[in-house]
Amino acid sequence: MKSCLIVDESKVIRLVTRKILEDLEFETEEATDGQSAVEACRRKMPSAILVEWNLPVLSGIEFLRALRALPGGEAPRVLFCTLENDLQHIQEAIKAGADEYVMKPFDSEIIRAKFALVGLL
Amino acid sequence: MDDLLSEFLDETAKNLAVLDVERVKFEQDPNDPEILGNIFRLMHTIKGTSGFLGLARLEGVALVGEDVIRKFRDGALQVTPDAATLILRCIDTVRELLGKLEESGSEPRGDDSAMIAELRTVADGKMPSRRTRVEAAGESAVAAAREAQSSAHVEPAASVDGFPVARELLDELAAAWDPDLTTTSEGEIAASITAERASEGDTRAGPQPAPEPSPLVPVTGTALVERPESAPVESNGTADKAAKDASLATQSNRLDIALLENLMTLIGELVLTRNQLLHMVRDHDDSEFTVPLQRLSHITTKFHEGVMKARTQPIGNAWVKLPRIVHDLAVEMGKKIELVMLGADTEIDRQILERITDPLTHIVRNSADHGLEAPEYRTIAGKPETGTITLNAYHQDGHIIIDIGDDGRGLDMDRVREGIVANGLATDAELDAMGDQQVQQLIFKAGISTAENVTSVSGRGMDGVHANIEKIGGVMELKSVAGRGSTYTIKIPLTPAIVPALILECSGERFAIPQISVLKLVRASGNAENAIQRINDSPILRLRDLLLPLVSLHDLLKLGDNRKSERDEDIIVVTQAGNDTFGIIVDRVLDTEEIVVKPIPPILRHLSIYSGNTILGDGNVIMILDPKGVAPHAGKVAVGGAEATETAPRVSAAGEEKTSLLIFRAGGNELKAVPLGLVARLEEIDMANVERAHGNLVVQYRGRLMPLVHFDPAHAWKTEGRQPILVFTDRVRSMGLAVDEIVDTVENVLDVELSEDRPGLIGSAFIDRKATDVIDAGYYLTQVFPDWSAAENGQTPSAAGGARSVLLVDDSAFFRNLLVPLLSDNGYSVTTVESADNALRLRETGARFDIIVSDLDMPGMDGFAFAEAVRNDGLWRDTPMVALSSHPTEPELARGFAVGFDDYVAKFDREGLVRSLALSITSAKNFE
Repeated sequence: MKSCLIVDESKVIRLVTRKILEDLEFETEEATDGQSAVEACRRKMPSAILVEWNLPVLSGIEFLRALRALPGGEAPRVLFCTLENDLQHIQEAIKAGADEYVMKPFDSEIIRAKFALVGLL
Repeated sequence: MDDLLSEFLDETAKNLAVLDVERVKFEQDPNDPEILGNIFRLMHTIKGTSGFLGLARLEGVALVGEDVIRKFRDGALQVTPDAATLILRCIDTVRELLGKLEESGSEPRGDDSAMIAELRTVADGKMPSRRTRVEAAGESAVAAAREAQSSAHVEPAASVDGFPVARELLDELAAAWDPDLTTTSEGEIAASITAERASEGDTRAGPQPAPEPSPLVPVTGTALVERPESAPVESNGTADKAAKDASLATQSNRLDIALLENLMTLIGELVLTRNQLLHMVRDHDDSEFTVPLQRLSHITTKFHEGVMKARTQPIGNAWVKLPRIVHDLAVEMGKKIELVMLGADTEIDRQILERITDPLTHIVRNSADHGLEAPEYRTIAGKPETGTITLNAYHQDGHIIIDIGDDGRGLDMDRVREGIVANGLATDAELDAMGDQQVQQLIFKAGISTAENVTSVSGRGMDGVHANIEKIGGVMELKSVAGRGSTYTIKIPLTPAIVPALILECSGERFAIPQISVLKLVRASGNAENAIQRINDSPILRLRDLLLPLVSLHDLLKLGDNRKSERDEDIIVVTQAGNDTFGIIVDRVLDTEEIVVKPIPPILRHLSIYSGNTILGDGNVIMILDPKGVAPHAGKVAVGGAEATETAPRVSAAGEEKTSLLIFRAGGNELKAVPLGLVARLEEIDMANVERAHGNLVVQYRGRLMPLVHFDPAHAWKTEGRQPILVFTDRVRSMGLAVDEIVDTVENVLDVELSEDRPGLIGSAFIDRKATDVIDAGYYLTQVFPDWSAAENGQTPSAAGGARSVLLVDDSAFFRNLLVPLLSDNGYSVTTVESADNALRLRETGARFDIIVSDLDMPGMDGFAFAEAVRNDGLWRDTPMVALSSHPTEPELARGFAVGFDDYVAKFDREGLVRSLALSITSAKNFE
């Protein structure tokens, strides 16, 4: 079973995302900030990571850099999920090693499409 | 409300709370990137989540708010004070929307276009700042609308049109988690969407096409006018850095408040059960339960502490609105105010927190409004321009202390005094006797805060605040120094539910009193320095330099006559209630116990002297005294009684005459009484010391042998233990009358009804509505001293001159019965009449007496009139007269002599009477 780490400060978002991902038969794990997300990855590297751009402690982009520096940190597909739709952010994220981005608010169709795009489905 | 929405509300409320705490910092340095980062993330999260939930209004506000703050955060714009106010307003709008959402489950209709327009103007970099209120409302609305329209194109399309995502998700979630709620949720969502759509249609500006100027707009409508001198743009670091130490994610679990309350109740029951067990084991020293019970006790205490902690919240939560209020007041009044908050993390019970929020806000508002001076005055006074309001919270002795201080002008004591006098709270004279400190406490009394005083005196409606604080068992003090500032100190118990209390006993009833109110305990013994004294019949205690008014719990509660008569063992609980210090007289202090306060049942709620009830370890339910309710009764019980007697006309002076009686039990259950005046002492003797001599029981007493008799001749004497006795003394001889129990002493109108001729009894009387046998002390004296009368006779002058005749005039059968044997035993032949009229009638018959003894207080003709009548003329003009008085006083004495009495004897002074009779007769003889 594939696993996905959901990193978002908002519990509401995490709940919604978890529901969608469980329907897609993902095993989910959650983290509330960039730092605890890094730790979660250190414990167990997930197959996919859905990460919010704005996070406390470590921001999304800082998390991404830390993740890619971890042993095995290249493996997970990382999807940035953000409201900040300007090109600059997306470019910055892709440059730092993100695989795809998702705009909030998303629904199960969008997630399914994006996950398919990065080869998770 | 579905889970997702409530989750959202909860989460956002938490984030808002964090933001509120940082508000002070934000006001001090609006360009602090860290705080801007936090506000930004809050807006960001709200925007994101409300998109999911289809909360369009919230999303609209958050979106533009986020936009503006991002620019501030990134340093693209400089935050000016006006912009800061605007940001705060934006946050407030979010909060307000959330509040309504929580109430109704759906977003309220409304229009945020004006504010959005303002924010948008700021965001567009027109770096405005001076807000000018535009008089013409329409103009403002149009401007707002235009702004809104112009900004519409930059909005992302995500949330504009319908909410399929949220709809789908909510349905799914609801179906998956709570099938029962599905219909409701759907219904609510549908309703909310409909409402939203409807509101969009006519009022919502934001991303919609330009709306009609709504009637709501003028109310909030302010437009921004560009200011020529644009603030410099400078960079201020990044949000990422700022975000580092501000983790909102904590390891926590949401708990329903009801669950906590329930836990607290259970803890209460547990404490009660523990107390009960402790009570049971207390009497068995070596019980096998002792050790485990100690552990249980320990664990219970820890458990209690734990749950209490779970109920607590940092007091900072009560302060969150303060920075905003102070900020607004400062802007409005042109003052510079710094709000310093110390100890914001001090934990306080949630229930208390809720109740002190308003009082605290009121006090801070007052300090900002009235306490602190305008900058120009401060400069003149040599103070820094910026005034400081300091909040400080800390724990002390199981209480939470909150200080609210300002360095403002302080109270103008002259004005306060004026206000107090004007409100009739105290007179000038009373005020003169008070120190400033005491006068300041009067501010908390009702009525001081009248409008004319409010502005400068800052009397400020503190009575309401004070009442609120008192309601949660707190106390409040004010210290103020003119020109230096005022400090309010609030002291609140940690939790209102379980309090340490003192268990008292009075007349066999037990009561609890919270220990917070108890200052000290004083044992008042009859002869020591701590004796209860009376001023105007009000009991008082002289405690060092203090005259403490007392209230007897027994009298206050009219506890009947179960009271032990060992009055010299009274305990006085020195109690403080607000500014009153007083003593409560009780019989005993039994214990200290942690009691669980149960609310007072409605049927007793009108009784202000109780604050609740509790269950003791032994299962008994007892009342908890409320010192604030008891205080008004201190020193006033007797006053009230006096008023009662004044209003009730005295039917007849003599008939109402009161006699102190000692009530006891002996030889049976019925009550017996003897006039206290006849009893020399109450003693308790050790039966082991009793010896037998000549078939009588005797005991060594004050260096002599004192015979003992029991009331009941058939009584089987104990051979050991304590035996209470009444000591009757006649000259040098004493005798002890053994009784079973001394019950009480009462003041009662003695109306003896003669009973069957039983030796030792004078008759019976109704004392406190109970039939009571009044015993004849003389009878017992003659029993012990068969030669008593003879001995007396040998020593009285009457023996020399044969039997002297005495006329005794007394309306009281009791006294007549008491005195006749005494006088007879002294060799007088006694004639008694029950009134002066009858005595004068006797005079008409030509009867002659050697001496006349007359009571002064009698119905009809009293003793004085009688004496005058006797002295005026007639047969008895030269007969010596002796007055009997129950309350000899100087004026009465003088008046007695003036009307012709020759001597004057206090009732019960039997020796005195006998002496006086002999003397009067002798001197009368000498004249002859």
